[in-house]
Amino acid sequence: MNTAESNISPSAPVDAPLITGNQSFSSVTRRISEIVEVELKKTPKAWYIAFSITSSLAGMMTLMIGWLLWEGTGIWGLNNPVGWGWAIVNFVFWVGIGHAGTLISAILFLFRQRWRTSINRFAEAMTIFAVICAGIFPGIHVGRAWVAYYMFPIPNQMDMWPNFRSPLLWDVFAVGTYFTVSCLFWYVGLIPDLATLRDRAVNKVRKAILALFSLGWRGSNRQWRHYEKAYLILAGIATPLVLSVHSVVSMDFAVGVVPGWHTTIFPPYFVAGAIFSGFAMVMTLAIIARKVYSLEDFITMHHLENMNKIILVTGTMVGYAYACEFFIAWYGANTYERAIFINRAVGPYAWAYWTMVTCNVIVPQLFWFRRWRRNIVWMFIASILVNVGMWFERFVITVTSLSQDFMPSSWDYYTPTIFDIGIFIGSFGVFLTLFLLFLRFLPMIAMSEVKGILPEADPHYYKAQEIKDKQVIGTEGEQVQLS
Amino acid sequence: MPPIKSKQSIKNRNYWRSLYDSTDATTETEQLDNEFPHGREVDPNSVSRREFLRLMGASMALAGATTGCRRPVRKIVPYVKQPEEIIPGIPLNYATTMTVGDEAFGLLVESHEGRPTKIEGNPQHPSSLGKAGTIHQASILGLYDPDRSKNITQNKSAKSWTELLDFWAGKRADHLANKGEELAILSESFVSPSLSRLKNEFKKNFPNATWATYEPVSNENIYKGVAGATGESLRPDYRFNKADVVLSLDSDFLLTESDSVINAGRFAQARRVEGRKDTMNRLYVAESAFSTTGAMADHRVPVHSAEIGALVGQLSRALAVRGVKVPDVKSLTSLTSAPVDDKWISTLAGDLVAARGRSLIVAGRKQPGAVHALVFALNSALGNVGRTVTYTEPKDAEFPNRESLSGLVARMNVGAVSTLIILGGDPVYNAPADSNFETALSSVPLTMHLSSRVNETSKKVDWHIPQAHFLESWSDARSTDGTVSIVQPLIAPLFKAYTALELISLITTGKNQPGYEIVRSTWSELLGPLDYEKKWRRVLHDGLLKNSALPQRKPKLNIVSLARYLENTPPLSGSRGGVEIVFLTSPTVYDGRYANVGWLQELPDPITKLVWDNVATISPATARKLGVDIKRYGKLGVKKYETVKLTINGNTLELPVFVVAGQADDSVSVYLGYGQESIGKIGNGVGGNVYPLRTLANPDFDSGLAIEKTGNTFPLSLTQDYHRMEGRPLIREATLEEYRETGKLEPPLVKADLKPLWKERKYESSPQWGMAIDLNVCTGCNACTIACQSENNIPVVGKKDAGYGREMHWIRLDRYFFGDEANPQIAYQPVPCMHCENAPCEQVCPVQATNHDKEGLNVMVYNRCIGTRYCSNNCNYKVRRFNFFNYTKDTPEIQKMGNNPDVTIRFRGVMEKCTYCTQRINQAKIKSKVNGTPLKDGDIKTACQQTCPVDAIVFGDISDEKSAVTEVKNQDRDYVLLGEWHTKPRTSYQGKLRNPNPDLG
Repeated sequence: MNTAESNISPSAPVDAPLITGNQSFSSVTRRISEIVEVELKKTPKAWYIAFSITSSLAGMMTLMIGWLLWEGTGIWGLNNPVGWGWAIVNFVFWVGIGHAGTLISAILFLFRQRWRTSINRFAEAMTIFAVICAGIFPGIHVGRAWVAYYMFPIPNQMDMWPNFRSPLLWDVFAVGTYFTVSCLFWYVGLIPDLATLRDRAVNKVRKAILALFSLGWRGSNRQWRHYEKAYLILAGIATPLVLSVHSVVSMDFAVGVVPGWHTTIFPPYFVAGAIFSGFAMVMTLAIIARKVYSLEDFITMHHLENMNKIILVTGTMVGYAYACEFFIAWYGANTYERAIFINRAVGPYAWAYWTMVTCNVIVPQLFWFRRWRRNIVWMFIASILVNVGMWFERFVITVTSLSQDFMPSSWDYYTPTIFDIGIFIGSFGVFLTLFLLFLRFLPMIAMSEVKGILPEADPHYYKAQEIKDKQVIGTEGEQVQLS
Repeated sequence: MPPIKSKQSIKNRNYWRSLYDSTDATTETEQLDNEFPHGREVDPNSVSRREFLRLMGASMALAGATTGCRRPVRKIVPYVKQPEEIIPGIPLNYATTMTVGDEAFGLLVESHEGRPTKIEGNPQHPSSLGKAGTIHQASILGLYDPDRSKNITQNKSAKSWTELLDFWAGKRADHLANKGEELAILSESFVSPSLSRLKNEFKKNFPNATWATYEPVSNENIYKGVAGATGESLRPDYRFNKADVVLSLDSDFLLTESDSVINAGRFAQARRVEGRKDTMNRLYVAESAFSTTGAMADHRVPVHSAEIGALVGQLSRALAVRGVKVPDVKSLTSLTSAPVDDKWISTLAGDLVAARGRSLIVAGRKQPGAVHALVFALNSALGNVGRTVTYTEPKDAEFPNRESLSGLVARMNVGAVSTLIILGGDPVYNAPADSNFETALSSVPLTMHLSSRVNETSKKVDWHIPQAHFLESWSDARSTDGTVSIVQPLIAPLFKAYTALELISLITTGKNQPGYEIVRSTWSELLGPLDYEKKWRRVLHDGLLKNSALPQRKPKLNIVSLARYLENTPPLSGSRGGVEIVFLTSPTVYDGRYANVGWLQELPDPITKLVWDNVATISPATARKLGVDIKRYGKLGVKKYETVKLTINGNTLELPVFVVAGQADDSVSVYLGYGQESIGKIGNGVGGNVYPLRTLANPDFDSGLAIEKTGNTFPLSLTQDYHRMEGRPLIREATLEEYRETGKLEPPLVKADLKPLWKERKYESSPQWGMAIDLNVCTGCNACTIACQSENNIPVVGKKDAGYGREMHWIRLDRYFFGDEANPQIAYQPVPCMHCENAPCEQVCPVQATNHDKEGLNVMVYNRCIGTRYCSNNCNYKVRRFNFFNYTKDTPEIQKMGNNPDVTIRFRGVMEKCTYCTQRINQAKIKSKVNGTPLKDGDIKTACQQTCPVDAIVFGDISDEKSAVTEVKNQDRDYVLLGEWHTKPRTSYQGKLRNPNPDLG
């Protein structure tokens, strides 16, 4: 390559292009909008089948929760040492899933990672749905759900006030803030796209609804300036949340005295784990969506590979945390902590521990190799295994520590019941139902943002185009998409 | 992960087992329905259409539409005429007596507005001294048992007492005519002036009548053996407090033998250590199955129950070597085998000889009379008789006699009995199989049965007469030392029920005579005419007649009698004959009569920690031989256990097998009292009935058992799965010698530099509550658990939930095994809430439902609790209990009468735990305020402390330097659990000591 010429055009795409298929502004709009503009009658059958399955699961969960509230927490497999079981595991699991969305939309935005644009919309949607799923659990896991509002600092005639020393209360605030900010961020990001849809809408009702939600967006320069500032500020607000929410969640455990919980490594370890599992979930969803809706041009192998790199990095961090916990358990010379870690590895829950290690530490190691990073089948399997592993991580932390703590006399084994399992599966039903609705009715890829990274959007596009042409001539035979 | 069937889980939680059998279901259940519309409930599992709609409603209630509901309004009416002495809200206490066979147990019963609610020991009564065991305290539930029978029935049709009177008038004339030739009575054993008087009157009227006495569990062998050795009928009274060396031969005198409460108290007196200068007694135990007494032992050796006789022979040789004059009788000298290591025996003999007159050998009531006779001879030779064991001549006593039962059955079989009246008991269920009592019963033309419930026997008889509970009865009894005490009713019979006194009186005189009059006329003789009313009122107040103990005797060994007795009894076996089966009295349901008491069914067995079942316990070596998977035992998460088939004398029973380290090899022990079909909803179908394996000749243990694995499994519920203490300093022990030298206990506490992160709350006001628990005297008897359950309205959760680990006991007994598998040691630790000053539970509760008050109590605000269970997770001691379901939902209306009105009933979803009996603290405070007198040390006793037979628990004000609790806490054995976590518990423990003989290493 001619270095002199490269210097002339610093913004020339030296990497592989982010969006392929020779997309233009209009083709982006068309491709993405058409997915949601299908007439109701013409909705693909597959969508209906999927929706009926997921909504049935969600319905099953609702019934089970009804039974839970009617009959009592005892329908779960909880017992005296193990006061927290699947409900809390699921809560942490879902909150963790959400993190990738915020990371992609906020942190990668601040770091100007332009590749994020193809996946940020549905990553954010995933965040919100995951937080909704997570939000189900703290409410129903308490013994008297009808007075769960005692947790909120509402001035009342009973003169009751929550205990601000309790990490569970911090959770309420952390998750509440997170949900609010995520919703705002997502919605603000949607506004230009909603306006696009509005402009394309032929049906009057549709137009009116979209008009309402697009808040009178006209795409003027002034609006864009305000919009981008607002987006930047929200990204700034959301960024610390990526770190704080799971740190706070981790304190539910770390603040407790239970050996296996009481560990200072928990906040960073939980955050790494959250991003790890979140990216895996984005991966699972993205692979399916890009295949079903033929969006290979937008979610390219490049995107997937980047996500795999993050999965590799965070997976390794999580693995480091596991090792570090063991080291400290030995180095700290605390009998109870040592015992619990030995028990994790060789005790009655060893099966769960080794499932966790295999899925979270060993599986991602293949991503050191480019070939595996770019293998769709493998990354799909790996993304699912990672989430299996991450669910087990929370299970191992929550249950094994409680099962065998200080007093061997109280040690007991926790076995889930059909209701533990059913409500967890049902939460997937809720998640996927919401996701299917999202895919059907909202643009799953942020059109306005994708347009922003198209070559056309570059102010130097035409200059670069000329240089490109020369290059194409110069390196004949190379497969270059741009021509 | 086996899916848990919702149906099953709820069914079992619902601890009422099943409805009555179909035979008499029509009348009984209908009556039950009419009487207690809420007593029986619709099975909540079958989701009916209506249930489904309600369920849907609950789902809709997710929206929170129920917040505006009003509570139901209930009107109460004040007294029109205020009864004397009753002040609403202030309980009254009455003294009465509970009898179990020939035991009499003095009680003080708390009564709220006429409803008995809590049973405690009578401090003046010699057999309780204010303490009470598990069955005594739990008997309150027997009163409020909705499964009690409610009507006199003749062939299942309801009759009245007058109708019975009329019916008997004719029959009586017939029997009077032939002097009662064809009349027979089968009674339970009793020691009662009134019953004895009536029996004599009966005998006067019907001189030829048969009177048989049967008890499935009794001291029959002891009486026979002592009579054999002395030639007199005598009753022993053990003075463990005066014994420095105790040898227990298959005797669980601390829990399941007679007078265990007072015996444990006396034993503890000799065992208590307050400082490094103190000494303590030494306990040797030889037994087949691990018992609480074995757990307390300094030296324990597992031997077959059948080998105890040989052990006595071995010991007598060792004693003879040391110059003890052992009687030279053939049966003793012919016992030449040595079941126990000679060194063990010679060390024991050395100790016994060194402590002549201060030693004691006790044999269990399972042991045959010959063993008791020889034990008397040895005690006599060691100079213990009159010192560590005294005897009284029993008066007014009707002791059980198996021969009388077999004699009666023989008469019944030949048609010599035309009328049989059974006073209490359930012989059809619990008579030995080879007595064939049931068959004989069907050949008797007229049968009557007095029974508190329609049990197996009641079903086979013509007339069933409901028996009154002792809290509804007038009667009297004599305790072991002969003290006469009164049984007075706390409440009028809840159902139309009658006492044995009233029935015998009816049989004898043909007239209706109330129990009160019968007892009064007996006592008019006892008290004499002078100041009769005054003395009578005194007796009613005290519950007993003071200074009425019988003179203590110091009987001499009668060699001639002993030799003759031993010749006439089956010879003691010298060796173990194959696999033996040992029938043990259950420490919870006794002989089965308490099987319908939920508290007892859910009370963990002291050794296995099993609830709601009986099992066949075997040793690990036997398990290996049988091919039983030994790894299941002591492992977490095991719910199902293998079963075995026990076959003996042609009878077979399948029972779950349970491996207990320390059990004698090739010895299988089983608890009596389970597997009943007609005891009530709670007890029906729990466990297996082992009575059919018993024979008249060998009712206590038998050899020649065939045991084989079936390949089936059975779910068992344990409250403590794990056996080991993992070397943690939870129970800290030392030998007496080490302790006196160094004052140190093992395992050592973790040294930690404890610095708080924040400014700690100071507790400077007075009083500051604290508790001390002396592990050295705790026997693991569970009395505290039941006391707490009764005082604090703790619900029963049922087998399934108990198996999950959801039992609700606020104070539990932790049991750990130590040492080798063949002969380990057991140590117990009662664990209530520690009331930590830096309570980890308080910090994590998001709604401040658990807090500290200024007196150092960790208090629960039930109304505030939303049930996050975070507090329980964060509790180092796992003493918090969560209401996973609405456990009191199915409590029958009648049983609610027994609740303590001073303690809230907790709803589902609420966390609860030990409160140090906060209601008692407040009552005492109110009282002191009203009286204007300051609170004194000892004014407040927690329920567990009050009942502890060994006074292991002390509670009081730790800011008072002179209080008993401070004194105990100042002992050098005092330590707190997990102190290195800086939770600063208010409950502390005094380390356990053992006093092994150094010669035995």
